[in-house]
Amino acid sequence: MVIVEPVCQRGRDPVVSRPAYLTLGEQFTAALSALLGWGPVRAAQSRLKEWGLTGRVAVTAVPYLWLLVFFLAPFLIVLKISFSSVEIAMPPFAPLVQWASDKVMLVRLNLGNFMFLWEDSLYLSALLNSLKMAAVSTMLALLIGYPMAYGIARSERHWRNILLMLVMLPFWTSFLLRVYAWIGLLGRNSPVNQLLVWLGLIDEPGSLLQTDWAVYIGIVYSYLPFMVLPLYTAIEKLDMTLLEAASDLGCRPTRAFLSITLPLTREGIVAGCMLVFIPATGEFVIPSLLGGPDSLMIGRVLWEEFFNNRDWPVASAVAIVLLLLLVGPIMLFQRAQQAAGGVHR
Amino acid sequence: MSALRPQEKLKPWTDPAAVPYVRIERVTKRFGDFVAVNQVSLDIYKGEAFCLLGPSGCGKTTLLRMLAGFEQPTEGRLFIDGQDMTAIPPYERPVNMMFQSYALFPHMTVVENVGFGLRQDGIPKAEREARVAEILQLVRLTGFDQRKPHQLSGGQRQRVALARSLVKRPKLLLLDEPLGALDKKLREHTQFELINIQETLGVTFVIVTHDQEEAMTLASRIGVMNQGEILQTGTPTDIYEYPTSKYVADFIGSVNMFEGRLVEDEPAHVRIESAELGGTVYVDHGVSSAPDATVWVAVRPEKVRIDRERPDQLDNVFAGTVKEIAYLGDVSRYLVALDSGKLVRVTQPNTDRRDDRVTWEERVWLSWSPSANVVVTQ
Repeated sequence: MVIVEPVCQRGRDPVVSRPAYLTLGEQFTAALSALLGWGPVRAAQSRLKEWGLTGRVAVTAVPYLWLLVFFLAPFLIVLKISFSSVEIAMPPFAPLVQWASDKVMLVRLNLGNFMFLWEDSLYLSALLNSLKMAAVSTMLALLIGYPMAYGIARSERHWRNILLMLVMLPFWTSFLLRVYAWIGLLGRNSPVNQLLVWLGLIDEPGSLLQTDWAVYIGIVYSYLPFMVLPLYTAIEKLDMTLLEAASDLGCRPTRAFLSITLPLTREGIVAGCMLVFIPATGEFVIPSLLGGPDSLMIGRVLWEEFFNNRDWPVASAVAIVLLLLLVGPIMLFQRAQQAAGGVHR
Repeated sequence: MSALRPQEKLKPWTDPAAVPYVRIERVTKRFGDFVAVNQVSLDIYKGEAFCLLGPSGCGKTTLLRMLAGFEQPTEGRLFIDGQDMTAIPPYERPVNMMFQSYALFPHMTVVENVGFGLRQDGIPKAEREARVAEILQLVRLTGFDQRKPHQLSGGQRQRVALARSLVKRPKLLLLDEPLGALDKKLREHTQFELINIQETLGVTFVIVTHDQEEAMTLASRIGVMNQGEILQTGTPTDIYEYPTSKYVADFIGSVNMFEGRLVEDEPAHVRIESAELGGTVYVDHGVSSAPDATVWVAVRPEKVRIDRERPDQLDNVFAGTVKEIAYLGDVSRYLVALDSGKLVRVTQPNTDRRDDRVTWEERVWLSWSPSANVVVTQ
């Protein structure tokens, strides 16, 4: 016999408040907690904990280890090459460690590469020029990026994501391709030039290409998103009532910007400047493609040593010096930042 | 010597010759289609502590922000001390504000925060330091000079915010929920301190709050707001004892409201018949309303007496059954059901120690004097 019980229910079921199904996320959590509760897993977990390896340590340590290995290993190789000397061989440098006889190991440290960097003024001037160009580009990026980030952070909420996406949009095409595009834009027969002539703003088309200005334009254009994003985050966090309070206390808008907005977004300014300055110092693609023979930058010199002169030891020495010169100040700066940040946080 | 008694001195709004210090003239503020403040007119006198009281979203904060200059009125004008302030930017107004969030500058010390306003005015360093020290002493916050806001407790931050807004000696001090972020104990304590400081400095206060107890303690007068309009303006006593509308009666304190209609309309007294009460109410004041119109009788719970025996009184006596009792120590609260089913709230002080108080389901008599009730028509 079959009993058919017709059920017709309207509205919410008063008794069963839990849904009869679990969402995918709940299923995953349930499975995970079941797995973690399982005896052998628990035992292994407590063993690992004894060794100081908790979950948190694992998820942070593994990527750090990865980064360390792939930073340190190439660094040590480059360091080794920088103490070597040129040879017509494959690879084109003399081995650092040689066996003089069966029992005697000969380590030949060639300091000549570093001496050469010091003696030939090309390298020092290239380095100084890179620092100058990176500094100027960073300032330009800050001057363009700050109002931009401010505008985005103060726009209406539904506009913000669209504007931020537009800032990041260039990343969707290749960096190289975008720099190549600037060759077309800055050249003598570029549409920009033609427009300027047609408007009567300039008499004859000039070319910005192969000047320092082309390099500045290229760097500022390429690195602007790295400036805008940290600035946006800092400005968006700023409490607007602080500006109202300043205004209420008799502070004019310009003054309020200088004494409230600027100091309270300092972290964003520092982060953005570092993200632009550091890669811009070692930049070689932009000066090679857009710059002229005078736009000497250390990254470009390094590239030419490696691939044109095939002088790997000197190129490595350049790389090591550049790294030390950049890392030292950055670490000191970072520490000062942390000390200052600790006070007003 | 002045012939005025202290109370009269403190009531400039009763003097027709008094000149208002702050004048809000038919001010309207619209945000798109939404009317935040609707045709508000208000006069505030020098030395007052005026409280704008209302539920959130009633427009009280918008009105305050217009006084500070953060918002521009869509219509109407604002005057402070006779000067038209409508188009003056906030940084040029003789007004300071204490923000609900305090809005202390996190990168500045206590002294820098408090001295910020003086620096904007270009006051020399020595005078600045002296004034900052003086005001910090007034708010009892000496010894914290070099602390940053994050190193202070909530109460201390509130004091810094107060000091910062007072140090410029503003003509008008605006306080947005000044005690909102403090816990109950600290609130009560700070309320009285605020009044002391206000009286010491003689600054005119405009306070925004949604907390009626705060308004009752701090205010010389209260303006009850709802939906962008001021419903009633008056002293705390006026607002509590003589509400002019159902909304005000209900918003301030707790009240019993009985619907009825006028059956006897004399200049000195009225009688109202109410089905909810199952009888007529005698009110010892006249009511301006059309005969037979629906009116409401409002009676506060503490004005209702509760007895086992029918009291020796002709009017305003009704029978009911006790439904709920809450013994709170100092007072007891009762919920009494009238025969119509209408529930009446009664609060009685426990003045003496007794064990034979009325109990659940007991038949009792409720009564109040003819002057205890108020008739409202809207």
